[in-house]
Amino acid sequence: MAEKLLEIRNLTTAFMSENGFVKATDRISLNIEKGQTLCLVGESGSGKSVTSLSIMRLIDYAGGSILEGNIRFNGDDLATKEQDQMRSIRGNKIAMIFQDPMSALNPVFTVGEQIAESLRLHQNKSHSEAWKEAIELLRLVGIPAPEMRAKQYPHELSGGMCQRVVIAVALACKPELLIADEPTTALDVTVQAQILELLMKLKEELGMAILLITHDMGVAAEVADHIAVMYAGSIVEQGTVEEIFSNPSHPYTVGLLQSIPGFEGKRGNELYTIKGTIPGLGNLPKGCRFNPRCPHVMDKCRQVEPGDIQIGAEHSTKCWLYEDKDRNGVSVSGGIGGNANG
Amino acid sequence: MTEYFIRRLLQSILVLFLISLVAFGLIHAAPGGPTQMMMAPGVSPETAKIQAHNLGLDKPVPTQYVIWLTNMLKGDLGHTFKNNLPVGEVLWPTVGNTIKLMAFAWFIALLIAIPWGIYNSTKVYGISDQTANFVSYIGFAMPAFWFGIILQELFSLKLDWLPLSDMYDMDKQGNFGNLLYHLILPCSVLVLGFLASYSKYARSSMLEVLEQDYIRTARAKGVPERKVIFRHALRNALIPIITIIGLDLPILVGGATLTESVFNWPGMGRLFVEMARSREYSVLMAITLITAVVVVAGNFIADILYKIVDPRVKLGSKGGKSA
Amino acid sequence: MSDMNIETAPNVQASEHTEPAIAPLPPSKKPPGPWMTVVKKFFRNPYAVTGLIVLLFFVVISVLANVITPYDPAKIDLMNANLKPGTGDHLLGTDELGRDIFSRLLHSGQISLTVGFSVAAISVIIGTLVGAISGFFGGWIDTIFMRLIDVMNSIPTLFLNILVMAIFGTKIHYMIMILAFTSWMGVARLVRGTYLQLREMQYVEAARAIGVSRTGIIFRHLLRNASFPIIVNATLMVGGAILSESGLSYLGLGIQAPATSWGLMLSNSQEFMLIDPLQAIYPGVCILAVVLAVNFIGDGIRDAMDPRQKKKISRRRLDKWRKNYSKSGI
Repeated sequence: MAEKLLEIRNLTTAFMSENGFVKATDRISLNIEKGQTLCLVGESGSGKSVTSLSIMRLIDYAGGSILEGNIRFNGDDLATKEQDQMRSIRGNKIAMIFQDPMSALNPVFTVGEQIAESLRLHQNKSHSEAWKEAIELLRLVGIPAPEMRAKQYPHELSGGMCQRVVIAVALACKPELLIADEPTTALDVTVQAQILELLMKLKEELGMAILLITHDMGVAAEVADHIAVMYAGSIVEQGTVEEIFSNPSHPYTVGLLQSIPGFEGKRGNELYTIKGTIPGLGNLPKGCRFNPRCPHVMDKCRQVEPGDIQIGAEHSTKCWLYEDKDRNGVSVSGGIGGNANG
Repeated sequence: MTEYFIRRLLQSILVLFLISLVAFGLIHAAPGGPTQMMMAPGVSPETAKIQAHNLGLDKPVPTQYVIWLTNMLKGDLGHTFKNNLPVGEVLWPTVGNTIKLMAFAWFIALLIAIPWGIYNSTKVYGISDQTANFVSYIGFAMPAFWFGIILQELFSLKLDWLPLSDMYDMDKQGNFGNLLYHLILPCSVLVLGFLASYSKYARSSMLEVLEQDYIRTARAKGVPERKVIFRHALRNALIPIITIIGLDLPILVGGATLTESVFNWPGMGRLFVEMARSREYSVLMAITLITAVVVVAGNFIADILYKIVDPRVKLGSKGGKSA
Repeated sequence: MSDMNIETAPNVQASEHTEPAIAPLPPSKKPPGPWMTVVKKFFRNPYAVTGLIVLLFFVVISVLANVITPYDPAKIDLMNANLKPGTGDHLLGTDELGRDIFSRLLHSGQISLTVGFSVAAISVIIGTLVGAISGFFGGWIDTIFMRLIDVMNSIPTLFLNILVMAIFGTKIHYMIMILAFTSWMGVARLVRGTYLQLREMQYVEAARAIGVSRTGIIFRHLLRNASFPIIVNATLMVGGAILSESGLSYLGLGIQAPATSWGLMLSNSQEFMLIDPLQAIYPGVCILAVVLAVNFIGDGIRDAMDPRQKKKISRRRLDKWRKNYSKSGI
């Protein structure tokens, strides 16, 4: 097995409200190996972005806080680091690109300057060196006439161009891990494919790992090595892309797959949607958090929350339907646990 | 940019023209018209008629307006009804005095308010922020002239530290030190008023910018927090602050009236009140128009500055590496 | 290994579903209406509640002024001039003309509150009308109104007030009218903005497509969407009007004797600062208290209707929670 780059164990993140804290992620565990792509899939509000912000420790600025768990990056726990220490990792070893490229760039600086800033910060490059390299990066992400473009402001570029710039900013210091939070959602469909293709090409060239956050199973199918499905702050199923697609086990994952147009002979039928809405994180149902929407709900589901159940070498699910299929022979029951590997 | 500049300039001139209409219209809408208004009781109708003729008040109102406006444009502000003094002679010295007071107070207020607001935006709900909040609540709710009276009672009458009123002591006319000494109390009143709004503007503008995605991007790049605030956020936050301060000019110009009255400061606001009491309409119209010019020009400049500072609205940009 | 999984899979996928595999969420408790939520949140805000209590206090004592105090606020009694507070029945003493200060304060309250609330009401009406007309007709009508607002915003309000009071005479209804005429612009902009925003909404287009009157919809939604901001604006205007009234009266261009107002009392007090400094304190404190109360109420309403969570939790509380959390072991 490849070397582990990022290892998240039992990460619990909460946002503060007037009535105490509301958990945005609940004991989630993830692994990313070097050079691999992990897709974190789920509806909006399921805690995907919070997970990524937690890894970057940007969660502290968003009013949230890590309550519990470890985030080991090359063996180093990021969850307990000071912001000052994180600063030398952010943008350097771990970089991030965001959903809306137009608002992710500072309107008062030229795009070249925004790329060069990273290089000056982390690699102590001089202004002119950094500027030259910024132009090279713009060329790398496929922006034509980079010398001219570098001197332009973000509002002078199109959305797709801006996202390429954002990617250039993120790649400036050749990070080992790139977190991409819905990098194509705000873009036109044709541009979406180009950006994804670019990301995958750069991944190969630079040998970095990618954590891709998306709500789109179709995107995940194209680019992922591993997939983790998130629902209401919890990872309900994870496994290799082949396992998830050939053998989806959690009813939520099944629902997600069925809602892809043209998936599994659904072509021609009307578009499938999962009924109901994701529960507010403040008022999760008792037992399994998916039970009010689940077609296979059992009494047990309404009482006890399932733990991770290992149903394949690299495939686990949180569903009572597979209680007797647990390869470890231990059914990890409600509440505690989540670390089925242990 | 040039096109915008010209369009904006024409707009400003239109607004000024409308203001002159309003000011002129108001005076002539008065019951009995300006003649009646200015006549002291007991003046015979014949005298009134002669006076009205001398002032051109027997001409049709539109003609009067055209005459008045052309005179204004030529810099002739007319004459006072009593004593027949040129309005400029009465008005200009008071304008200078008001500027001395306002500029001093405004400068101090901005110097305190903007850094304070920025600091508070980084420590929301801290002690400093709570204090600023308290100050602005009090500043908005307290009548400025009452604050002036209280300061007078405390620092002049009770403690005898500072002068009660006026701009200079009788024997020290024109002495700069003496002017500063007299400035302290009225300035304190004005500064509190400005502080109430400006520190809030600066804070909320910064807070809004700090919530933007590009600030998150900067942090994700590993930019140190100090640089996030001063490099990435501040420039964006200053843009709306400039606009709001430009839009605040009417308060700036009119706001000194009460303070000037309390401290007997020989400024334009106090003159306006005096002239309103004695119904010197030529002076009133001149002051209204001059303040309107200042205000409109201020808004115009703020708008143009806004376009210069914010590259998003810069047309035909030259680009270039920005610091 | 993998054959095991293959066995389980069909189970879950529940064969050929044409029906959605996942059942709809059962309808939860009906959420309370927006008004109720705002009211609840408002009453949880200690500043807003204090403001409301203070304002109600002033309203009650002003309305009951004649019952509370036996003295005529305008009655001159030179035999009893400049009495110290607490002399006889004069709770706060008398002024230089022997008028009972407490009684004058209460009657001043009547004037100030009347002016404050009337100005707010009238300018909301003007502002809503102008904003709605401007947004509805658009085009040159809109341009004219917007230029008018520019003009109004470019003349220092106090100058305009003074001008009008000097020209038309210092009557209270003139004062209310001119204060209202110089403070409607904010509401007009707000209503116009909401209108323009609503016009672009897709449901409005949709409604039009099925033949529902577009203006009817817009106006219904307009009132629903703009009512809270208008209320906030109006509350803040009450405070502004009370301040303007006191300023004008202080300058001698507002309320005239024998009527009385807090601003007028302050104007008197300045002449007698050396004899009785306390005279300057009372009316000012009253103005400060009422305006502060009104502003607290306005801010309370604004915060209550703002769906965003504004509270930031302090580090200490956060650490405490975290400790409790790890102790509880869940």
